[in-house]
Amino acid sequence: MSSSLALAPAPPSEAAERVRAEVREFLAAELAAGTFTTHVDTWLSGVDPAFSRKLGQRGWLGMTWPQRYGGHERSAMERYAVTEELLAAGAPVAAHWIADRQSGPNLLRYGTEAQRQAILPRIAAGECYFVIGMSEPDSGSDLASIRTRATRDAGGDWVVNGAKVWTSNAHASHYGIVLVRTSPLDPADRHAGLSQLLVDLSLPGITVNPIRILDGGHHFNEVVFDDVVVPGDMLLGEEGAGWHQVTAELAFERSGPERFLSTYPLLAEFARRACDSGDAAQQATLGRLSARLLALRQLSLRIAAALDRGEVPDIPAALVKDVGTTFEADVIDEIRRVVAVVPSLDSPDPLGRALAEAQLHAPGYTLRGGTNEILRGIVARGLGLR
Amino acid sequence: MSEHADLVVGTVRDILAAHEAFALTPERPWDAGLWADLADAGLTGVGLPEEAGGSGGELSDAVAVVRTLAAGAAAVPVAEQLLVAGPALLAADLDLPSPEEPLTIATGGVVHAEPVDDGDGPGRWTLTGTATDVAWSGVARHVAVLAAAPAGIEGAVLALVDAEGLATSEARNLAGEPRGSLVLGGAPARGALLSPARAAEVRARYALARAVQLAAALEQVLDLTVRYAGEREQFGRPIARFQAVQMELAEMAGEVTAVTALVDAAVQTLARGEDVVLAAAAAKVRAGAAVEVVARLAHQVHGAIGFTQEHRLHHLTRRCWSWRDEAGSELTWATVLGVGLLADGPDGLWPALTRVV
Repeated sequence: MSSSLALAPAPPSEAAERVRAEVREFLAAELAAGTFTTHVDTWLSGVDPAFSRKLGQRGWLGMTWPQRYGGHERSAMERYAVTEELLAAGAPVAAHWIADRQSGPNLLRYGTEAQRQAILPRIAAGECYFVIGMSEPDSGSDLASIRTRATRDAGGDWVVNGAKVWTSNAHASHYGIVLVRTSPLDPADRHAGLSQLLVDLSLPGITVNPIRILDGGHHFNEVVFDDVVVPGDMLLGEEGAGWHQVTAELAFERSGPERFLSTYPLLAEFARRACDSGDAAQQATLGRLSARLLALRQLSLRIAAALDRGEVPDIPAALVKDVGTTFEADVIDEIRRVVAVVPSLDSPDPLGRALAEAQLHAPGYTLRGGTNEILRGIVARGLGLR
Repeated sequence: MSEHADLVVGTVRDILAAHEAFALTPERPWDAGLWADLADAGLTGVGLPEEAGGSGGELSDAVAVVRTLAAGAAAVPVAEQLLVAGPALLAADLDLPSPEEPLTIATGGVVHAEPVDDGDGPGRWTLTGTATDVAWSGVARHVAVLAAAPAGIEGAVLALVDAEGLATSEARNLAGEPRGSLVLGGAPARGALLSPARAAEVRARYALARAVQLAAALEQVLDLTVRYAGEREQFGRPIARFQAVQMELAEMAGEVTAVTALVDAAVQTLARGEDVVLAAAAAKVRAGAAVEVVARLAHQVHGAIGFTQEHRLHHLTRRCWSWRDEAGSELTWATVLGVGLLADGPDGLWPALTRVV
């Protein structure tokens, strides 16, 4: 197979298994104490700053970063184990998720020393949350077409005008890494002239308007920038290198276990049903779904190992996200085929509630972080087809 | 892959390249010429220890041989010999026949074993009944038969049967590979009693062997399809330039990559000597599930030419359609996995999942 898609197997990590056991114990205690209840898709909807701070205190945020920035210098494999355990438990991790997953690593890679010093320790403490500023009302899959622009004023500061959408939890976050056009669009090189700005969301001129998803939940927002003055030293990385930086960021965004575990709490609830019923069709379905999940784990682990080797596995990450998010939605219908259960958020049956949560969030799985059509285009490039 | 495995793979490829693609027919149920060349090069004993008559090397070397031959749609019982019957006999302290004589495994049907002492000492059994779905029946000179243990005894008996002179009924899988029955008339055979766990491991090895073959064949199907899409021109350009075709190829690549990752992990579980039953079950089920997508889209992209006997694609796709339900059907292994993951009770799924591979 094409070498850009193939990744070496992940070596077993004893350290990862140790921290996995610690997280599991912590989560069992928190669940028993009632500090959270399990839900589907909590990395989008489970905002709980107190819980995020607890994770920070345990050393489970910023795990792979240098200690001088509040990190813990642990491997991507260890971080993988922690994130996977949190997702499997359906824990409320949304507040810090973006900051820990991609904004922090992006700052680490491209930020100035001052930016890193100011922000990374707060992310690692579970106190500072980020949003992704990529999509716009007229720019979804065609990200290079964004129109939010930043111009330098006389004092060297950036003046930002435009709007970003689908901005998860902007109402509960402190910063955004915002992709802006800093030079006019060059039709010959549409990827040129883009830059990333580190934007404090409390700046004057920023308006956060809720966009409710189909079940009424408020996770998304429109973030409007109206002559927002961003200090000149808040450029992230190089002016004009925004496209390249975004590509690297997306490798982090697309490869993690949240790309196949969003509906895991539903699968766990289904397993309880299959265990109680002893029903053969349910057991086989559990086996089939588990086999798919196990393969996705191996893919995601391979990517974690590649990150540990310092690689930027953007093409395999696109592939994992395509296969993984397809799985997340399939879980719903595979279960429906073998259990007579009516989905409802008000169901007395926990399986009915989990199905309802998973179903109502399902359209998002294969859209967020790059639609599966775009991802398959990236995979096709990896196959040498374009 | 190790340097040694690279060398082994290179040798297998050279030998394969010297043989034409083999069309299985009832009259030509295997590629005896290819087998002879592989045996001459010591490749039918890879991964089996030299002191037992094998060629030495690691499990990963044997897997590399099996993968290469599966990708080449080779009509020889190498997977059965190197990954299943050979290691199972050795694990049961039974002698290995010469690796130059094809050896297969039989786990299906109803076969009973009773101990005999015919003067040759203990460890001899009479086998009665019919072994079904025997890979390479009529071709393999020796068969490692997994038989039911005598009444009241747990586990199974693994016995090495000389296939010469056994009554066989012919049957073939979708690719034309022999999958007939063997009637075991009570001739004494050397064998050993296996605990239920050891017997389950033999079955799991068989499933994993098929999963290894499937992974290799599916990868080859993807390669052939990508290549074809790049060569075939319609509307004045290669069909690979069309987004609709690109989406299909990307979907195939996702399936193949997922299968490879899980099969590799299951092989490593076996290599580490850990319990391999659930890992093998998962690998087999995942590989089988991928066949549906990969074979369908491969034929779709190849168009009518891929539907013809003269085209090479069917040598792989027909095998895949069969292998996914051999060595235990997909349903059987999905159930084994589902039940196994629930062994620790209703809340045990996640810890179980993180232990499988």
